[in-house]
Amino acid sequence: MRALVIDDERLARKELINLLSQYDQVEIVGEANNVDDAKEKIEALSPDVVFLDIQMPEKTGFDLLEELDNVPHVVFTTAYDEYALKAFQVNALDYLLKPIEPKRLNEAIERLFKKLNEAPERYVEGDAFSSKKLTLDDQVFVKDGDRCWFVKLSNVRLFESDGNYIKVYFDNYKPMIHKSLNALDERLDEKSFFRASRKHIINLSWVEAIEPWFNGGLVVTLKGGDRIEVSRRQAARFKDMMSL
Amino acid sequence: MNKTRLYWFLQIFGWLGFALINLFFLSLERAISPVQVGAFFSVAAFYLLSTHSLRYIVKKYGWFNLGFVQLLPNTLLAVAALSVLNTIAQILINLIFDTLNPEDDFRLVVISVSIFVSFLFYSLWVMLYFLFHFLDNYNQSLKYQAKINEIQLNHLKSQLNPHFIFNALNSVRALVDEDPSKAKLAITQLSNILRFSLMMDKKRTIEFENEINTVKDYLNLETIRFEERLQVKYDIEPAAFDYKIPPMMLQTIVENAIKHGISNRVKGGMIEIKCKEGITDDLIIQVKNSGQLKSQALSKKKEREGHGINNTVQRLKLIYGDRASFKIYNSDNEFVVTEIKIPKQNLTLG
Repeated sequence: MRALVIDDERLARKELINLLSQYDQVEIVGEANNVDDAKEKIEALSPDVVFLDIQMPEKTGFDLLEELDNVPHVVFTTAYDEYALKAFQVNALDYLLKPIEPKRLNEAIERLFKKLNEAPERYVEGDAFSSKKLTLDDQVFVKDGDRCWFVKLSNVRLFESDGNYIKVYFDNYKPMIHKSLNALDERLDEKSFFRASRKHIINLSWVEAIEPWFNGGLVVTLKGGDRIEVSRRQAARFKDMMSL
Repeated sequence: MNKTRLYWFLQIFGWLGFALINLFFLSLERAISPVQVGAFFSVAAFYLLSTHSLRYIVKKYGWFNLGFVQLLPNTLLAVAALSVLNTIAQILINLIFDTLNPEDDFRLVVISVSIFVSFLFYSLWVMLYFLFHFLDNYNQSLKYQAKINEIQLNHLKSQLNPHFIFNALNSVRALVDEDPSKAKLAITQLSNILRFSLMMDKKRTIEFENEINTVKDYLNLETIRFEERLQVKYDIEPAAFDYKIPPMMLQTIVENAIKHGISNRVKGGMIEIKCKEGITDDLIIQVKNSGQLKSQALSKKKEREGHGINNTVQRLKLIYGDRASFKIYNSDNEFVVTEIKIPKQNLTLG
């Protein structure tokens, strides 16, 4: 398990690395002391897990996750921050309180191994991380007010653009992320996601029914009942893909 | 005496007094007969019973919660009804005691006067009753307000930020391996601060020396945590040590300075504490930190920040009245200065 430690305080990083050094299976691939630094290192090193401090200068740990396209497993760390603690508890996120209790760390590590074993190996090939497309097994981090989620892309049935934001449809939620649909489209694996129109990207594994529509377009019904229009230009491509 | 007892006490002695005074005035004119005594006590008893039923109605239908506009017609109507009943009761009582004089007592004037007089008595009763309740309520709300004030004051007293304590402990844990003697010093400093914050919490003001020592311990610990990101400077006049200041007030200001001047900045910054005596026998404490005050509208955390400043302002006002002051402003384009001015004596002495 390859881990990146993110904290603005050197001693805090040292303490955590020291505690992690007792685990042979955990390899520390790097340290970062602020959000921008962390973002670069996550993209360059593609760690399996990040240990992430919430309170950092200028941008918080949550800000970092929102900026990432593909989010590794996260264990939050905080000394005492009522707001963050509430967020962790409300959203059932994995977190450690500083100073870290070795027993709690051990539990967190065990949970991580379990999660990593369940999910297929994410970075098998030596591909540079940034060139790799996001697949159904990858997860994104979405925050909407007090609620936040790590959402596996396989659970997202629809992305809908809304001004400078994208609405992410999964379960009963549709929180917004600050991204452009075009940028997202480029990063998504075209085998799993389809750009239905200027406004929508749909998850192909959620398609339930397809009907013809005016002007040679199509209307796709997704499991759960959302109906999305496929523009005429995309309809031909869509038919090709679905017939395969 | 509880309220129900007080009510019965006033009711019984009030109406008893009513009967006795009537009899007294009657006795000035002519001798009173046992029949008259009986009649007046019966009338008093009717007043007691009828007002008590009125109280029952007032309570049952929640008249205390009515607005004045609704209460006034309600009471007027009730009082008028009772007056009529009372007049009827008086006639019955006269009949029972065989003092009824049909020719005289059934004249319209006599009946009208009787209704009018009982109307006055009932109105008086109602006024006293509502006045009592109003005063009682007012008292209750004063007590409530006093309690609220006390709670607020306790709340205003600054407390150590738990975030700081746990971060400091975390740094110390790492230091134990890296630099044991520094770790020992840090533990001593942390326990000084904890002890100080526990002991000083109850006091209004304390010696300047105690406060500044705590602040120094605090900044030493934060230096361990932030390392090269935090630079600290002191410029303290010896005269400052003659002053007393509210406990944890400078500490809170410095904590804020750390939060905004250091921990929110990737490169960190500088904190300078200046204490000097002003010309009018007051102590001027300035805390200067790197950074700039953002306009309140731009700041998302406005409420949380504003709270800390408000606390300090309110505490100063509670302790010193208008003789202390608080200011916070941008100095150049690089620093924020927080300044408090504290008079030599506090309000209770001065």
